[in-house]
Amino acid sequence: MLAANGPNSFIWWDWVDRHRGQIKDASLEHLRLTLIAVVIGFVISGVLAVVALRFRWTYGPITWITGVLYTIPSLALFVLLVPLTGFTTLTGEIGLVSYTLLILIRNIVAGVDGVPASVKEAADGMGYTPARRFVAVDLRLATPAIIAGLRIATVTTIGLVTVTGLIGLGGYGSLIDDGLKRTFSTPIVVGAGLSVAMAIVLDLGLVLLERALTPWARRRVAT
Amino acid sequence: MLAIGMVAVVAIAACSSNDNKATTTGGSSASAGAGGGAKPTVTIGAQDFGESAILAEIYKQGLAAKGFTTSTQKLGGFRDLEVKAFDGKTINFAPEYAASMLEFLNGKKGEATSDVTATVAKLKTQLDAKGLAAFNASDAVDTNALVMTQAKASSLGISSLSDLATKGKDLKLGGPADCETNAFCIPGLKRVYNLDLSGKFQALEASAIAAALDAGSIDVALLFSTDGRIAAKNYTLLTDDKKMLAADNVVPVATKDLAANSELASAVNAISAKITTDELIKLNKRFDVDKEDAAVIAKDFLTQNYLI
Amino acid sequence: MGAVQDFTTYITTASHWWGERGILHRSLEHMRLSAASVFAAGAIAIPPALALGHGKRGGFLAQSIVNIGRAVPSFAILALLFPLALSYGFGLGFWPTFGALVFLAIPPMFTNTYVGVRGVDPSIVEASRGMGMGPAQVLFRVETPIARPLILTGVRIAAVQVVATATLGAFVGFNGLGSYIDEGFRQQDDGKLLTGAIGVAVLAFLTELVFSLVVRRATPWLAPSRVPDVVPPEQVEVLTP
Repeated sequence: MLAANGPNSFIWWDWVDRHRGQIKDASLEHLRLTLIAVVIGFVISGVLAVVALRFRWTYGPITWITGVLYTIPSLALFVLLVPLTGFTTLTGEIGLVSYTLLILIRNIVAGVDGVPASVKEAADGMGYTPARRFVAVDLRLATPAIIAGLRIATVTTIGLVTVTGLIGLGGYGSLIDDGLKRTFSTPIVVGAGLSVAMAIVLDLGLVLLERALTPWARRRVAT
Repeated sequence: MLAIGMVAVVAIAACSSNDNKATTTGGSSASAGAGGGAKPTVTIGAQDFGESAILAEIYKQGLAAKGFTTSTQKLGGFRDLEVKAFDGKTINFAPEYAASMLEFLNGKKGEATSDVTATVAKLKTQLDAKGLAAFNASDAVDTNALVMTQAKASSLGISSLSDLATKGKDLKLGGPADCETNAFCIPGLKRVYNLDLSGKFQALEASAIAAALDAGSIDVALLFSTDGRIAAKNYTLLTDDKKMLAADNVVPVATKDLAANSELASAVNAISAKITTDELIKLNKRFDVDKEDAAVIAKDFLTQNYLI
Repeated sequence: MGAVQDFTTYITTASHWWGERGILHRSLEHMRLSAASVFAAGAIAIPPALALGHGKRGGFLAQSIVNIGRAVPSFAILALLFPLALSYGFGLGFWPTFGALVFLAIPPMFTNTYVGVRGVDPSIVEASRGMGMGPAQVLFRVETPIARPLILTGVRIAAVQVVATATLGAFVGFNGLGSYIDEGFRQQDDGKLLTGAIGVAVLAFLTELVFSLVVRRATPWLAPSRVPDVVPPEQVEVLTP
């Protein structure tokens, strides 16, 4: 960086300037891929967690299957899906969603399990129907655990979306892939840096969300 | 909360961007391929190396200037993926190289020669069987080039491929991943020189091969003859004394329907006529060394040659 | 299915197993790199984590740095280290991938070790102090053994991730199982492609299995399936790709 800033510098600022449109597109695409994966993953995990909580014996098999999915290396999974679903968003999302399931299911279940039995009993005693109690009490008190899981799932997914650049999807991975293929560090640094930035921002957002959803935690500290 | 989230996701997914790696430039207004008079849409496949990307862009922008709807598609690999894309109809045009394409299609029989006319004629026969056709071949030639660093070559006394066959059997070859299936790489060396370098072959990204050679991580590199670094870094280009390499002139290949379109054909041929080997070397340098974008390089080329 | 047939043909061809680019060599290289990366990362991550977990200070800062590190895509580190490795004489393949994998393995090992040591019941720590143990003794004779399940789980998580991610090394010339995926894809060779994909998946599973057993053996005082994977909600669950 001491020499004139150019294509062989760590970051070639001129290139960044000229490619702002491309960088913006990559950012939006990266965000889109991440959000779709996390939201769909969360919905599926929610359903599976409820099943696991209701029918305890299913917890083992569910975590086993999602664990297996989680252990499959991401590149291998994407590459195996391509002949079936092509170089499409669907291929990427199938992989990305799969990787969120294990952590989300485990944290949702652990969170609900972590609610003290006495609280659940008290709610039952107050006349809550099981379904209502689950939503109004169990889930609310499990919020910290659920959000902890969401935070990890989100940061994980942001990192994984970069690998989808290898199967041609947009997002920061396409910048990194471009840089790798051309031995050109600037797009790599831009892609990696913005990836980290996005992870920090979304992680912070979820922390704030948690604060908003659990006002009683702060009130306790205040008194 | 959850409901809001779901709506947001659906909204984001709805305004989804294109799925495949295509970039489109506008052409005429009417829907492509709608009827007899409408101009066909051209989807150009680009292989995983700079020159292919540049050529794809050149044809793409050149044809767009003549009113065609064009787009490029990154193939993510080499000829293997390109032919698959033609079969799957995801592309209908690709810049190719006469001898290499011929040998790919004829199962590496060794029919290609240094006579471009004869080679292209044989190529057209092969293409016909696949529902494809070729436009005019350009004068520009880009063959594979097996090189070594000057130091290593002189220390081992290797200056030709025959030398390599006798003295270099245990050397490490580095090249693009398709070297194992490319008629003018590993299979060609086996067939013509009786040299099998597949045991230690290292697949590398096209742009990294020269660097790996410099670093000594590989002993022999497969580069392209239009790579300016061969001259710039004084590599020893191993001479092809037994004539394995053949007429690898740039020749655009397309589906028969596209090729039959006379307006398209004359536009394509006009562009091909302006591409020369020296031009390719210059264009490649801008891509490999100056890290410019293929689209920008292509545009400059077309502008300088009065094609747009 | 044609692809499956190609795969079975590929792995049943004897010549595909031998030589520098054969299944055996590539699998061994893959494991060798993974092991080296996990060891190095452990040497870098565990000692500070033990110290900080014991001292209960400075942990928040360290943990934040580690969390940011977790968000850096390995793929990017790989791509950045590659040209550097070449120009500084480290060659292609092993060292750039090693760098990226060590970076990847540090966060889970650091976090689990730190959380594990810090989370030891304070009354136990007090009791040991009361018994006359100095800080080093408390750390090594009391806190570390109690934290062992979490520490080993961290190593397990790191190891599985490393084995899985070493696949990407193929793009910078590392001759591991990932090379089958790269070549298989570019050459449109389903046999190679599946060999690579299934190969790394199997290695990843085996790693997971072996480490689960190690964790179980190393913590006999816990009932067989009660080894905690999930760290309580207020601490951060450590599962990253």
